[in-house]
Formats: sequence, C-alpha cells, structure tokens
Amino acid sequence: MLVLTRRPGEGIVIGDNITIKIIEVKGGGIRIGIDAPRETKIYRQEVYDRIRQENIEATRWDMADLDILSDDLAGRTVKK
Amino acid sequence: MKKITTRFGEIEYDPANIIHFPEGLVGLEDLHDFIVMPNKKKGPLFWIQCVDHPEYAFVVTDPTNFFVDYVLSPDEEERKKLGIGEEDECYVLSIVTVPPSKEITLNLAAPILFAPKTNRALQVVLENSPYDVRTPLPRLEEERR
Repeated sequence: MLVLTRRPGEGIVIGDNITIKIIEVKGGGIRIGIDAPRETKIYRQEVYDRIRQENIEATRWDMADLDILSDDLAGRTVKK
Repeated sequence: MKKITTRFGEIEYDPANIIHFPEGLVGLEDLHDFIVMPNKKKGPLFWIQCVDHPEYAFVVTDPTNFFVDYVLSPDEEERKKLGIGEEDECYVLSIVTVPPSKEITLNLAAPILFAPKTNRALQVVLENSPYDVRTPLPRLEEERR
C-alpha cells in the first residue's frame, strides 16, 4: 500500500480523473473531499464490507429452504 | 437454449432472458448475467441464478410484499446505467438471506433496481438510509395493523 502524508488543503490525484482532498482534521476524524466521475462508485469501507458480506451470506441457501419458506410465506403478502 | 450446471443441477435457459448487471453485485463484481428461475411454490419468493458463475444464486423478493412504504426510484446516473428514461418502468427487488435459523432477512440497504425494458439491473447502496442489510420481516401482528 502506498502511504503518503498530506496536510489539510493538500490533495492526491489518482489516475486521470479522481482527486482526493483533505478538507480538515478535527477531533480524531478527517474530512475528505473526493472529485470523481459520477459513475465512479464510492463507498465507505465499512458499508461496502457489510454489503459484500451480506451478498455472500445470501448465496448460502438450498432448495429445501426455498420450498419451506415459500409455504410459510404463502398468503403473507401485504395487499397493495 | 443454453445449459449450465449449478449446485441445483442442470439448468437450461434462453440467453434472450438474461438479466444483465453491468456492474455485478457489491463485492461480487464478476457476477453479471442472471436468469430468473420460476419458483415451483406459490408465494413472494423467487430466485435468480447466475449464468457466468453458476455456483451463485440468490433468493429475491419484491420488498413491498412486506414493507409497503419501501419505495425508491433510480436517479439519473442509475437510469443511464440501466439504459432507461424517466418514464420507463423500474422494479425494486431485495436479496433475501436465509440464515441457519431460517428467520429470513431482506437486504433493504442494498436493493436491486431492475429495468424490464432493457433487462438490466443494478445493486444500489442506500447510504444514510434507515434500512439495514439484515432487515427481519415485520411480525404478523404488526402487519395486520
């Protein structure tokens, strides 16, 4: 991992179109500004990790589960 | 028709029915093409089978079956990725997790947007939303109220 030291107001340029700027350092937190193309996906690491983990978790089921759950949930839909 | 071998056995599908996730799923970015599998049983659950990585399949549901207020629509960037206009239809699906307890949860924090017109889909992340990746179904008593 590349490690750089930056001060508030300084930035980092990644590739052709991503710029990261240190806005301020305050009470243990660091505010960061990111300029990137709109289609670039930017996630907080812990949010990304949680969703990734849940997606993987969601692949662990088997057909018997689906059958039983379908029976349990039959008729359990809210009338729209 | 094409054939793949999945952990549920051999599945035959028509490539014309593929739902394409241009960005894959969050953390599983290689999973691009899925087919919707009909559920033999009645009820709100169905499943989608990944075609490019046949070991992956997900149970999904229309979350409004359980959460009537759960409404979202794609923003401009998402519509562009889905290849649709503002007036085109877009459905919302939730991935279902089946834990060992069988008390299923819905991932309401990262729903799937599906555009039937283009057969494209996106998993979007709702940051700062009140919804959890592991939202239990509302209790029956609550639902009846």
